[in-house]
Amino acid sequence: MKTTKILLTALLTIAISMTAFSQTGDRLVSSKAHIKFFSTTPAEDIEANNYTSTSTINTSNGNVVFSVPMQGFEFPKALMQRHFNQANFLDTKQFPNARFVGKIANLDQVDFSTNGTYNAQVEGEMTIKGVTKPIRENGTITISGNSVEINSKFNITLADYGIEFVKGKPASNIAKTVEVTFIGEYQKQ
Amino acid sequence: MKKKKLLKIAVILAAAGLLIGGGVGLYMFFMPHRDVQKSPTDFALTSSELVAEYLNDFEQSNQKYLSQDGNSKILEVTGTVAGISEDYNGQKVVLLKDPGQVAGVSCTFMHETNSNATALNIGQTVTIKGVIRSGVFYDPDLEMHLNAVIEKSDVIF
Repeated sequence: MKTTKILLTALLTIAISMTAFSQTGDRLVSSKAHIKFFSTTPAEDIEANNYTSTSTINTSNGNVVFSVPMQGFEFPKALMQRHFNQANFLDTKQFPNARFVGKIANLDQVDFSTNGTYNAQVEGEMTIKGVTKPIRENGTITISGNSVEINSKFNITLADYGIEFVKGKPASNIAKTVEVTFIGEYQKQ
Repeated sequence: MKKKKLLKIAVILAAAGLLIGGGVGLYMFFMPHRDVQKSPTDFALTSSELVAEYLNDFEQSNQKYLSQDGNSKILEVTGTVAGISEDYNGQKVVLLKDPGQVAGVSCTFMHETNSNATALNIGQTVTIKGVIRSGVFYDPDLEMHLNAVIEKSDVIF
């Protein structure tokens, strides 16, 4: 009787520790990511690139989070970069990080243990310049061995985040809606 | 005669004004990016000191290190090399993180300084100069501490 009890306790302990381990293993971390802003108007095309984001995916509950250091956006022209950071645009000193917190809505259609490319619907909340808005976008998840890659392309309406220009050069040269391309690489731990 | 002379001066002044104005405009338009490595260092400190400062007061640290126009402070950070990787732009990324610290400083190099990053060894103590892009904080959704980020980096020998 006593041995059974000990055995059961031991089994339970093992079972609990195994779930604990598998849970930490479910969280994939990426510090290799590329986010591109693209704005096009008849006046000019503007592109900015950021290679410094950090992101996680939880493969068991589908949670997706990313954090973007806003001062990491680089523009071809120094003056554009300066404008981007300033208070009337992204105010990056006050709001140094943009973030997205969401979920893979169709997690049942993504098999993280089998190689392949899966379509994913991601929904959640985007916070830019201190303003949080719900978004729902499509992307792909590519699994290849130990590496998981997420790709997504979507549009952001600047006015949704309180970024608006009514006159002058910014109003004519910056699109009201900019295209955002995201690519991130995660390693299974 | 006097009128003609005045007109001449006015024309010369207008031309000079146009030249200067146009010059300034062109300069602004084609203004080069700040050369971080050739610019003076604002602060020299260890990676652990920077992490501690940010964890102690995030807002105040941002006030100290970040600039409104994006040309933030240039740091020389000394720490232990904890990892070397590469970003999507083919730039080397060296993580300075002392043993036992919850976070470190992620230093993105440039194509022209990559070779100095590749030459580093894990565990080595090194000083890296670069411009700060963001600080250290705990993100409850990521369930981790974010490293400080510096870019345009090179090793200080």
